[in-house]
Amino acid sequence: MTTATRDTSPETVYQDYLRSLAEADEHAAVEVARGLLDAGVAADRVLLELVAPAQAEVGELWARNEWSVAQEHAATHISDRVVAAVAAYAEVRPNRARIVVACMDGEWHALPARLVAEVLRLRGWQVTFLGASVPAAHLMSYLHRYDAYAVALASALPMRLPHAHRMIEACRRSDVPVLVGGRGFGMDGRWARRLGVPWAANAVAAADLLSDERALRAPAPAELTHLADDEYAGLVNRRGELIESALAELTQRYPAIGDYTPAQLDSTISDLGHILDFLAAALYVDDGSLFTEFIEWLVTILDSRGVPGATVEASLEHYSRLLHDFPRAVDHLQRGRAVLPARAVGSGRPAPRAG
Amino acid sequence: MTGADVRDLDPGDGRSATPSVARVTARRPTTSRPLPALERLQGQLAADWPEIAEHLREGVVVCGPDGTVRQISPVAQRLLPELVVGGTLAAVERLASLDPHLRHHGRRLRVRRVPLSAGRSCWYVEDVSDSEKRAEELAAERSRSAFLATVGDKLGNPLHPDRAAAAVVRLAVPTLAEVAVLVLAPRSGRARWWRARHGGDETPTVDRGVLAASELPPAIVESLRGTQPHAVDWLVEQTIEAGWLPGAAASEVAARLVPLPGRDASAGVLLVARGAGGWYGEDDVDLVRAFAARAGAALTTALLYREQAEVADTLQASLLPVEPTPTPGVQWGTAYRPAQAGLRIGGDFYGSHRLPDGGSVFFLGDVSGKGVEAAVFTGQLRQCLHALHRVEQQPAKLLRLLNDALLETTLAHGQGRFATMVLGVVRPDRDGGLGLTLAGGGHLPPLVLRSSGVVEQLPLTGMLIGVVPDPRIGQVTTRLAPGETCLLYSDGVTEARGGRRGEELLGTERLVQALSGCHRMPAPALAERIEQVTCDWLAQRDHDDIAVLALRATGVSGHPQRHLHAVPTLSGPDPEEMIPG
Repeated sequence: MTTATRDTSPETVYQDYLRSLAEADEHAAVEVARGLLDAGVAADRVLLELVAPAQAEVGELWARNEWSVAQEHAATHISDRVVAAVAAYAEVRPNRARIVVACMDGEWHALPARLVAEVLRLRGWQVTFLGASVPAAHLMSYLHRYDAYAVALASALPMRLPHAHRMIEACRRSDVPVLVGGRGFGMDGRWARRLGVPWAANAVAAADLLSDERALRAPAPAELTHLADDEYAGLVNRRGELIESALAELTQRYPAIGDYTPAQLDSTISDLGHILDFLAAALYVDDGSLFTEFIEWLVTILDSRGVPGATVEASLEHYSRLLHDFPRAVDHLQRGRAVLPARAVGSGRPAPRAG
Repeated sequence: MTGADVRDLDPGDGRSATPSVARVTARRPTTSRPLPALERLQGQLAADWPEIAEHLREGVVVCGPDGTVRQISPVAQRLLPELVVGGTLAAVERLASLDPHLRHHGRRLRVRRVPLSAGRSCWYVEDVSDSEKRAEELAAERSRSAFLATVGDKLGNPLHPDRAAAAVVRLAVPTLAEVAVLVLAPRSGRARWWRARHGGDETPTVDRGVLAASELPPAIVESLRGTQPHAVDWLVEQTIEAGWLPGAAASEVAARLVPLPGRDASAGVLLVARGAGGWYGEDDVDLVRAFAARAGAALTTALLYREQAEVADTLQASLLPVEPTPTPGVQWGTAYRPAQAGLRIGGDFYGSHRLPDGGSVFFLGDVSGKGVEAAVFTGQLRQCLHALHRVEQQPAKLLRLLNDALLETTLAHGQGRFATMVLGVVRPDRDGGLGLTLAGGGHLPPLVLRSSGVVEQLPLTGMLIGVVPDPRIGQVTTRLAPGETCLLYSDGVTEARGGRRGEELLGTERLVQALSGCHRMPAPALAERIEQVTCDWLAQRDHDDIAVLALRATGVSGHPQRHLHAVPTLSGPDPEEMIPG
């Protein structure tokens, strides 16, 4: 299938490619990819073994604060152009039905979904890629207008799970089967199973799943009976009030917050909101690990930006107190506190939050 | 202390007792001497027994300790005629088994055995044929209603005709048929059909095809015309001939054909077929008709929606912002997010036109109002600009001309609409930079991202366009060195409401903050970043139309454009793809 030699495999040019992303050099990045294609490397290999791992590494570089948001955006943009170039190189005539690939509303990391779209296109599906952050109303009017064999929905953020569920239900009401992917459904897809929707670990798995209409149309039912306790709904309704009181409490405990710049204050408020959103999502799928994974991630992010976790500890404690009549929420919050690094606990003075 | 305790402590004379306790004590005497009364009753019962037994719903058979039948009530005798006094229960098969349900002489009997004193036993036999039949009919009716409810639920939503058609046949299997074929009324001489086949498990296999109207089986044609065919046998053969029932023999198949009511003529016909042993009773046909009525309504709605959507799409496409035309030395970036996501158009607009001298005129603005009417006004405005830029290229003068033109139209239509906008002309410098001249019509001043990382707000003011005859138009010039970017955006960005309680405006300060450090970003990434920052701030709340136009100086020393020509622009789905296949 391929005449690629060792010198022209995705691994050998990987560092060159990453360097061109770091330098925001679109031209060089496209050249690296085209070099592989010219040497006979299959288009899907270029996408899955060069573009995808490089983009994953970019995400890690950002999380470790080695790259700025701007660098990450620029790299993503370039990867996107590379994908377009690879797709244009390997022109495939579609001979199968239409698949709509979309990112959840609020999901801006379009590249993984785009890679799935291109891999499906390479396998003969007629793919429509609706892009990043697709509003549910837009997706629905698209499905009503153009028939689709299936919808592939991507989400990298577990906090969007309740919203994802509503979107999945909406597609199904239009009689269009849905398959989902992305870290937002759990590394092993366990939250997709909770929502009763087929999940694909990667582009290849997505392509395989789409070929099996029975599996696509007959997923296991959703396991959401726990929603009857209304903790999720109650938490969502009290979101604004909870953030406000948490902020008041933090300001009292750590007077330094009073001197925060507006941008730092926005970040703090946004973190407080994220804690609640992830908690709500954990309640929605009734899985405390969703929340603890988020807390671990948040601590890593704050840590790499020089923010001690003391405020996280204080916020979790505050929320536990206010949500005392929500047993599941309290349990998730306690587990979240348990994974905080020991040094974060206590009354350390919080450093200003980086913007 | 419980009530029982109180009762036990009660002295029995009622003097100190509460009323409830008094009632309890009053009942005591009746329970303390029951025997004489019951004996008297038994005597009467024995006398009245034969007459009473005749009218009991249950028949009674009394057996002695050795199992011989001693008594049979008349009802029992009618239900179990084989039994005789002095015989055994073995005369009726399975009667002595522990199964309480018994089928005997075409009736359903419920049997229970009660042990009596001295080793005797009594068998009560009841005829439950009628009540069970009623229960079964009720269950069948319920399952029919449940089926129709599911059908109503599932058919109401797919608004795409193909989806709706596939859903119709899929839902018909297996409840109504083993094979269901839906033939839509022919459009331009071709009839499309969908077929679902029972595949053993719950999910039927669905396929589809097209037939020329002239090739349709005559029964289908008649049914589409509204004349129900009588010759059902012919129907099966025609269906087999059409290839819809592979491997089936005409004699083994039962089929029915039901038209799907449409707006005036039938929307299509539904053929249901069952193989070996299956048949269609009156109830089944009624259910198929009820199903067909719902299916017809769903298909009609979907077809109507398609007609409307085709019109809407065409109009919408003409009102969507057009991506800026490629200009040497300029990298464009855009973001567009209308308030009504389902509509995809709104009151914000942007665009560009090439000038003969190699430069471009570009603009971004916002008209008053939202939704379709606002979008239509942006269309008029863009058309005006399209024509006017050919006669005037100086931004402030062009904006004044536009103002006059709009004023004329809005006065003529009595609309009172107006717009805010920034309009500029960009011309590449020899050294790879860009020279910009911008005119402001009451719009938010543009931002410039300098190579130093500084975010600059251009001092651009001016009055609304389309309100007064001779508005004050601001004008400013600036230069973009290679790598620098100028950003135009609508108030949907800065007036996005978010924060703690969703009431705080995003504001220019937050926007500038979000852009600091982003000066190396490509223009499309920058535009997307603004969209993302705004949407994150909104956190799924409702918003106004959002539009961003970014132009970045790429520099002449940059890489040759040759290679990147192979890369198609990323502006949503390709128009070719939008045509349903």
